[in-house]
Amino acid sequence: MSDREVDQQLVERVQRGDKHAFDLLVSKYQRKLGRLISRFVRDPAEAEDVTQDAFIKAYRALPGFRGESAFYTWLYRIGINTAKNHLLANKRRPMSNMSFDAEDAESFEDASLLREVSTPENELMSKQVVDAVQTSLQQLPEDLRSALTLREIEGLSYEEIASVMNCPIGTVRSRIFRAREAVAENLRPLLETSKNNRW
Amino acid sequence: MKQEISALMDGELFEDEAENLLGRIKRDSDAHGDWEIYHLIGDVLRQPEHVHCDLSAKVRKRMQDEPIVLAPHGRAVKQKMRTVALSAAASLAAVGVVAWMSLQIGHETVPQMAMKQPVLRPASAQIRPKANDYLMAHHEFSPRIIDMSGGASYIHTIAYTNNEK
Repeated sequence: MSDREVDQQLVERVQRGDKHAFDLLVSKYQRKLGRLISRFVRDPAEAEDVTQDAFIKAYRALPGFRGESAFYTWLYRIGINTAKNHLLANKRRPMSNMSFDAEDAESFEDASLLREVSTPENELMSKQVVDAVQTSLQQLPEDLRSALTLREIEGLSYEEIASVMNCPIGTVRSRIFRAREAVAENLRPLLETSKNNRW
Repeated sequence: MKQEISALMDGELFEDEAENLLGRIKRDSDAHGDWEIYHLIGDVLRQPEHVHCDLSAKVRKRMQDEPIVLAPHGRAVKQKMRTVALSAAASLAAVGVVAWMSLQIGHETVPQMAMKQPVLRPASAQIRPKANDYLMAHHEFSPRIIDMSGGASYIHTIAYTNNEK
């Protein structure tokens, strides 16, 4: 089943009354939605509140979600509307260069703007996490590093990675898992200490 | 279980496996933590310029005040009904095709069979006394009735054509 089908399965669980499934969707999309909203709402604390509001609105609207579009497209649309309404409620206009649709949200890139809206505290945390992930990645054996990179950055399926790396799909699955787990091992202590500091 | 979570977030599990795993993640907070951290790693690798702070705990806290949402006649139910309806339609179509084919075959072969088939008459009415004695005397040497028992061993079917009269 595809990534979209996994989301659909989570959505259906929420629609059957499983709140925990929505937690999993929040964990999955919180950073993407947060980045999207921070393009509209420049103040980081406000952007964080708007992101939370967008998730709550999405939860309330989920009974009406029929799966005609991908869940993330639907969620991003709610995020954009929530951000715009927030700005209007505060008598501010959305930034003029922020005219894009929810479908474009996956691919937007504006690192300079994102740096601009980050607080020093957030920046430090982000830097520590990014350093930990990248250092761990560099320390991985070549086959694990390649498998994880092909999956996460290139977005290849296991079948495609198996073809590129000339190995069985089961090996790809195992390599990606071992790579993730090795990086996670180095990340967990950092996240534990940051838990009380808005991380 | 961690390896399954890794495969699930890549969309590489079958539907029933995913459903089963999601149920287990719900009951296991460590598994939920693995799901979160694996997604964080992916986000950092794709967008290292900006890693947003973790909102899930705050959203979870706000969600406690939210009522449980239910959509009993949602897409899942409709999809299942559609699947059942399609299966039933496919079965009916298959039965129809088989019936139609057997009718076609039947029309072609029945006349041919009728032409070749000799006219059968009841053995009791037409059997000749000599033949009857012969069969009664030799039936036990017949290889076909060795495994038979009781009265069934005396049962014979005899047919004559009109020419033999």
